[in-house]
Amino acid sequence: MPELERELRDLAGTLEFPATPDLAARVRRDLPAQPRPLWPRRLALAVGVAFLALALGLAVSPARSAILRFFGIGSVQIEFVERLPEVRLTSPLELGAEIDPADAPFTLLQSDLLGDPDGVYLRDGVVTLLYGSPERVRLLVSQIADGGSAPAIAKKLVGTGTSVELVEIPGVAEPGVWIRGRPHVLLLPGGPPRLAGDTLLWTRDFVTLRLEGAQSREQAVEIAESIR
Amino acid sequence: MGRARFQTEEGRGNPTPLQGVEGEVVGRPRDEAELVARAQRGDDDAYEELVRMHQEIAFRVAYVHTRSAADAEEAAHDGFVKAYRALRRFRRGRPFRPWLLAIVANEARNRRRSAGRRQALALRAADQIRPGDAAPSPEAAVLESERRALLLEAVDRLSEEHRLVVACRYLLDLSEEETASALGIRKGTVKSRLSRALERLRKEVGDA
Repeated sequence: MPELERELRDLAGTLEFPATPDLAARVRRDLPAQPRPLWPRRLALAVGVAFLALALGLAVSPARSAILRFFGIGSVQIEFVERLPEVRLTSPLELGAEIDPADAPFTLLQSDLLGDPDGVYLRDGVVTLLYGSPERVRLLVSQIADGGSAPAIAKKLVGTGTSVELVEIPGVAEPGVWIRGRPHVLLLPGGPPRLAGDTLLWTRDFVTLRLEGAQSREQAVEIAESIR
Repeated sequence: MGRARFQTEEGRGNPTPLQGVEGEVVGRPRDEAELVARAQRGDDDAYEELVRMHQEIAFRVAYVHTRSAADAEEAAHDGFVKAYRALRRFRRGRPFRPWLLAIVANEARNRRRSAGRRQALALRAADQIRPGDAAPSPEAAVLESERRALLLEAVDRLSEEHRLVVACRYLLDLSEEETASALGIRKGTVKSRLSRALERLRKEVGDA
C-alpha cells in the first residue's frame, strides 16, 4: 500500500472521536408501533385525486399551458396541464449509463415474476430496469429511493384525455396511481422530456416505483405486487 | 494498528466475538443475518441488538458529515428509526451495514446546514504510540506525532467532497461499497474522488 494511504490508516487509530452515545435504548423507545397507521396518508391522497378530478373538470385557465394542479406520490410529482409541451421523440430511450445492479445507489427492489432485467441504467438517482432491448422495450421499471444523495424528483405532465386513478396493490400499504389514456410527458432529472404511455406509480417503503409498458391495469398491478 | 481501538468499544454488549473491520467487510457474522430476519418479522429486541452492533460506526459516519456530536447523535438516532421503517425492503443476504450507513449519512447531510459550531477531527492527546509497534525513541515519537497532526490538518483543509471520501475510506476504514453508500455515490466515483484527494494531500504534505 502506498505510504500516504498507510499513514492515513494509521492516523485512524489515533483519532479522538466524541464518545458514541448509547443509541440502542433510545432508538428502541422511539420505534414506531406496528402496524403503522396508514390512513392519514391514504386519505390525503384520495382527497388530492378527487380535488384534481374536479380541477380538470373545470379547467378554466387564463394561460393555455398553465399548470392546473399538481400533487406528488413518493419522489414523483404529477402536474396536470391543459396542454402538453412539444416533445421530441427519442429513440432509443435515454435512460442513463448502464450499470451493474450491485452498483445501484440503493438496494433495488426485484420482481420474482419478471426475473432479472435485460439492462439496468442509472441517471441522477433514478435507476431503471429495462426488459427487452433499448430499441424494443417491453417494460420499464424505474426506482427512486427517498432520501438519496440527490433529491431525485421526476415530474409527469398530464393533459386532458389522460386519466389518473388510485389503485390498490396487494401487499403495498399505500395506494398507487394509474395514469392511462393519451400519452403523458415524463421529465426525469438530467434527461430530455419524453412521451410516456400508461404508467403505474406507487411507493413501497422508501422507494418510489414507476412501471411503464404493462398491457393493462390488472397486469400492472400484478407486476407491482411481485416487485419487493 | 489503529483498528484494535475501534473494536474495543464496538464490541460492547455484543454477543458476537470481536472482529476486525476487515471481518465486517468480508462477511458479517451469521448472527447479523438472523437478527435482520427477526427484526423484519417485527422483533424489536433483535433490532435493538442491531443498533448496538452498529451504533458506533453509524455515529462516526454521521460525525464526519456534521462535525458536531449533538447533530451526529440526532442523525444516527433518526437514521436507525428510519431504517427500521424501511427494513422490509432490505433484501436478506445483502450486507446490512452499507444499507444502514446510507440512511444515516443522508440524515446527517440534512443536518449539516444547521447552525452550530463545527469541530475538526482531533488527535488523541495521549496517543503517540501505535499498538503492536516496538516503542519508538522519544525523538521518533515526537516526529511521528507532528507528522500525524500535519496530515490531519491537511485532511481538514481538503474540500468537503475530498475530506469526506478520505474520512470514510481511511479514517473510518469503510469498504469501497460502504463509502459509496455513505456518500451516495457510485463505487467508481469513490475510486476517482479518492485518487484526486490523495493527490491533493500528497501536494500538501508529501509522502513521509
